[in-house]
Amino acid sequence: MERVHTTADADALLQKAALLIDAGRPAAARPLLVAARRLGPPTPTLARLGARLAMQDGTLDQARSDLDEAVTRTPDHAGLRITRAEIRHRLGDLEGATRDVAEAVILDRADPVAKAMLGVFMLELGRPHDAAACLAEAVEACPSEPAFREALANAHAALGDLDAAMAVLEHGIAAVPASVALRNAAILLCIRRRDFAQADRLCEAARIAGIADACTFGLRGHALSSLGRHAEAAGAYAEALKLGPGDPYVRHLAAAAGNLPSGTRAPAAYLETVFDGYADRFESHLISLGYRVPGVFRRLLAAHPRLQSGERLGPALDLGCGTGLVALAISDMAVGPLTGVDLSGRMLAQAAAKGLYAHLRQEDVMTALADGEARWPLILAGDVVCYFGALEELMQAVHARLEPGGWFMLSTEELLPHADGTLPGDGRWALLRQGRYVHHAEYLAGCATQAGFEIRVFERGVIRYEAEVPVDGFFVVLERVRHDG
Amino acid sequence: MADAAAALALRAARPDGAAPSVRAASTPEVPVAGPTPAGPTPPGSAASEPADPVRSTADGRDGADRLLDPAHHLARGIDLLAAGDFAEALTALRTAVALGDGSPVTVLNLAIAEDRAGDVARARAQMRRLAASRPDWDEPVLRLAESLRAGGDMAAAEAAYREVLDRNPRREEALVALSGLLIARGAAEEARVLLLRCCGVNPANAEAWDTLGLALLATEAASLALASFVTAQRLAPDVLDYALHAVEAASLAGELEAELARLEVAVQESPLDAALHTARGVALARLGQRAAAIDAFEVAVALAPEAAMPVALLGGVLAHANRLREAEDALRRAADRDPGNPRLRNDLAAVLMRMHRHAEAREILSALRSEHGDSVPVLCNLANATACVGLQAEAVALAEAAVRLDPEAVLPRRTLCNTLPYAEGVDGTRLLAALRACSARLPRESLPPFHNVPDPERRLVVGLLSGTLRSHPVGWLTVAAFEMLPPAAFELVCLVQNGAAGDPLAQRFRAVAGRWIDIDLLDDVALARCAREQGIDVLIDLGGYGDAGRMPACAHRLAPVQIKWVGMQNHSSGLAEMDWLLTDRWETPAGFEPFYAERLLRLPDGYVCYSPPPYAPDLVPLPALARGHVTFGCFNNLAKVTPATIAAWAEILSALPAARLILKTHQFADEATAARLRAAFVALGVDADRLDLRGGSGHRAFLREYNDVDIALDPFPYSGGLTTCEALWMGVPTVALAGEIFASRHSVSHLCNAGLDDWVAGSREAYVALAIAKARDVAALAALRSGLRDRVRASPLCDAPRFGRGFAAALRQAWATWCAQHAAGGSSQPAS
Repeated sequence: MERVHTTADADALLQKAALLIDAGRPAAARPLLVAARRLGPPTPTLARLGARLAMQDGTLDQARSDLDEAVTRTPDHAGLRITRAEIRHRLGDLEGATRDVAEAVILDRADPVAKAMLGVFMLELGRPHDAAACLAEAVEACPSEPAFREALANAHAALGDLDAAMAVLEHGIAAVPASVALRNAAILLCIRRRDFAQADRLCEAARIAGIADACTFGLRGHALSSLGRHAEAAGAYAEALKLGPGDPYVRHLAAAAGNLPSGTRAPAAYLETVFDGYADRFESHLISLGYRVPGVFRRLLAAHPRLQSGERLGPALDLGCGTGLVALAISDMAVGPLTGVDLSGRMLAQAAAKGLYAHLRQEDVMTALADGEARWPLILAGDVVCYFGALEELMQAVHARLEPGGWFMLSTEELLPHADGTLPGDGRWALLRQGRYVHHAEYLAGCATQAGFEIRVFERGVIRYEAEVPVDGFFVVLERVRHDG
Repeated sequence: MADAAAALALRAARPDGAAPSVRAASTPEVPVAGPTPAGPTPPGSAASEPADPVRSTADGRDGADRLLDPAHHLARGIDLLAAGDFAEALTALRTAVALGDGSPVTVLNLAIAEDRAGDVARARAQMRRLAASRPDWDEPVLRLAESLRAGGDMAAAEAAYREVLDRNPRREEALVALSGLLIARGAAEEARVLLLRCCGVNPANAEAWDTLGLALLATEAASLALASFVTAQRLAPDVLDYALHAVEAASLAGELEAELARLEVAVQESPLDAALHTARGVALARLGQRAAAIDAFEVAVALAPEAAMPVALLGGVLAHANRLREAEDALRRAADRDPGNPRLRNDLAAVLMRMHRHAEAREILSALRSEHGDSVPVLCNLANATACVGLQAEAVALAEAAVRLDPEAVLPRRTLCNTLPYAEGVDGTRLLAALRACSARLPRESLPPFHNVPDPERRLVVGLLSGTLRSHPVGWLTVAAFEMLPPAAFELVCLVQNGAAGDPLAQRFRAVAGRWIDIDLLDDVALARCAREQGIDVLIDLGGYGDAGRMPACAHRLAPVQIKWVGMQNHSSGLAEMDWLLTDRWETPAGFEPFYAERLLRLPDGYVCYSPPPYAPDLVPLPALARGHVTFGCFNNLAKVTPATIAAWAEILSALPAARLILKTHQFADEATAARLRAAFVALGVDADRLDLRGGSGHRAFLREYNDVDIALDPFPYSGGLTTCEALWMGVPTVALAGEIFASRHSVSHLCNAGLDDWVAGSREAYVALAIAKARDVAALAALRSGLRDRVRASPLCDAPRFGRGFAAALRQAWATWCAQHAAGGSSQPAS
């Protein structure tokens, strides 16, 4: 029968607790801190560890209060200042955090962490010159720390000196070749500069160095796609998928590249990522692609019998509204109020800025259609159906949300045969390498009629241009027949 | 545990009231001398009384006087007894008696020392005489009872304890010890009565409460038992067993979560109590919260670094979590603290084996065998470790010894089935017989019928049963296949033993799994029930009888259709309930059916789909071009390198005097193992300088070392599997010998699948000749190597979409077969 006696002292427990916190195991560290508090008086180490745990718990106010007391007890302890700076930063008190960390630099001029933190906070305060100076000192003091170099590169980038930023990252890669973060930062910087060839070269260098990282391969896929090297991009996405199989963005692109069975629709997380990243240049990009959907929708909608007879059409639901281009196109017509739905918060922010929508909701199209009992006289889906493969559920859901006689206007791209005459995908729909779905006309029409729609318009036309080549598709107007429901 | 319990009675019943005698009988710290009833975990005796000896030298007399003073020798004897030095105590107490101290207490102490270090019969006779001469004194009878119990004469011990209670019905030690004996022989009801009396006599007697808990557990009153254990724990918070018993009782009572909640509160109130943290860890582990359990044990170990049990428990759960280096460290610390515990060393050996440190494991296991004799677990581990250092015949002999030790047990037969495929001269018929003998001994539970809808076209629920859905041959050779199954037609349910959350391949499996179910805590029957609740239509076993394999659960039937695939797929499963074996035309050509218990489900290409790692180094030109000689290589597990293989390699090297051979395996980290291999080659006339024996390395480094190799040589009879695929990916073709059992044809399958049929030999002689011929055509080798990766990438071996189509069709075929049988009313798998 074994008896267990506590023989450890407070210092030993704190030492162990620090290791556990560093290892990301707060649940193991917490009881040791509690035990250490029973065994000895408060110490700066105990206060710092307690604060670090509190940060992980999210109890920041309590942590700040505890650290305030600890700093009062031991005002010359640089570590306490650094920890309080971290907490203040998390609490949004950037200036307080900066004061604390500046104090820490004064107390311990040799500490590169304090200098680096000061640099990062300076950068956030919009003082990139000061930031670059602090971070340069931190890098000099601790050249093997990739995070310092990455922050210094960010400071140079903020100063508009992308060459200097790249030089910092390249030196960093030379100094710490195993740093995935530095390599990805350099690749991203190349992509920002639209230097896709250099981005690809950096990715290849990383691969040869044995870097196996989903992000690196994913960025390579992006760079290669941008260079029009789609087969190689598919290979890069396949490798990215092996390393980041849970990432819906990579997963969808890998499926689009033929490396996985196609899902029946693009994952919401993929769309959110793509369009959040795309929002700032979405409209100019579409204009450059000769995007025709809003204009065609306007033309087709003008033929609506109620509008023809001078009546108002009433409320409309704009699925995947994006930045509100369709709303803009029909803004002078007797339609509205408009409700817009999109997954991308940043796209919605731009839509809101147009002031054309009565309501904007950040949610998935299918979720929006499943919510509530509202029936709409008009539902619009411009450039939305291309993110769905199988259309049966979408058609049924839209049908259920339309008033009798209501219109569903949609656009989609056409599934065209390969050069050998075979149809991609299952012959009804296919996911293409750009991550968009295309549909066969018969399938599209079949889904519509099966859901209970009457086809008012089924117009083949150019949806947009890709590399100056027209992309064919369909503009479709479906009507929920009046005697139905 | 101390005999301190006896002290209480001595105080109450000592005949002369002499203080030293009280201490004399009470203080010896004697292992297993306390009442030790049988039970889940034997309790010790009552909490020990700290020794406070009264020393007869305190009177300041000089040395000569003391030597003639019996009180001095008595006091010394008492001290020695207390220190556990029974031989010296015996001498001192004999001297005291010889000098005239014939007091009953002195004589009883002498008898105790005699019992431990001298003539047991004489000791017992002395105790009996004392008992007869002092019918009012219960102590001699108690000591007699303890001697009898320690000697294994439980009936006589029981009678003696009863006599103690006749003399003193309130004697706690006798109440507890007799109860222990009663529980052990199934008379827990009577034990309950005695223990309730004991707790009434002394409500502060923690051991009595604990033993009462054991009695209640034995009478299936788990909730009441829990209350008893909690009381014991409260009375003696530092006794770990009480806390652990409470967890056990809570588990049996179905109150484990409530007990965990109680422990959470308790550790808040008593943060320094390592026993509580340990018990909390056990409760968490039982609830499947492994990471939290590790945290709790770490806390306990940090608080009580000298204790053995917390660190042993930590080691166990770390091993389950595949954190093997940490597990090794913990188990070593535990074994250091409790060196007499063979289980800890066996567990340590098992962990070392999982880290490919088989030579170290063998040392530990061999020592255990010497110290404790043969036992099935040790023999089985030793057999596996022995196979892994390349001593196949010896390994089979050890496994057969384990079978003889317990012919009806499954474990030794599993071990035999796992060692036989590596041994020379084992044909398909013999191996199938061994596998059938093993699987026939698996328990089978009668479970309700299946209700799967027998629609051949509907979406199927496919179950994956494995402990190796991670970076492991099972992962590398199957994950791409599962990724390619169309989600609209198949839903995957992963039944996962030893899940490795952070592993990249595990994440790939997770990404395609509709459901991910941790089965660590489920026994085989519970696993079968769980699988059935998931509605699995087709179950694929990916573990066999291997490490963390759960194939035995398939004997209960987890699904209407059961398929054996990769994962210790060295031959048939031998299992009557395994319906199909996924294979190909190279692994099991037409005519091989009699070697298999299952129907053969042949895929159109190879039976696996290799998913190369993204970090594989680039190919380099043929090394022979620069070196001027060919370098052969074999990076397979040493278990596969048989004496016949070594002889064949030696023959090849003899025919090519400039050629060299690189062997790379974890086992060569052990210099003795490497030396044995070198000696085997030297004995066959090959200079040791021509060998390059390399130890283990990380996966990328491992692959890069193929850049030193021109031709890989496959071992036989157990051929390379993943290793052959990796060699091909690194531009190195393998010379292979086709055998009869499944394991002897892996390379044949992979090579033919990649279009390298001409690298397969049909006989040992042809194998040697083929290797020599290939080595002599360096130009052809160089050309082959330069394009081999692209060739392999384009071949069915790596063409995941193509494999996925064949795989999906095979699963559909197996399902349709069941549906047809079901429709005909003659399902081959009726409700079991």
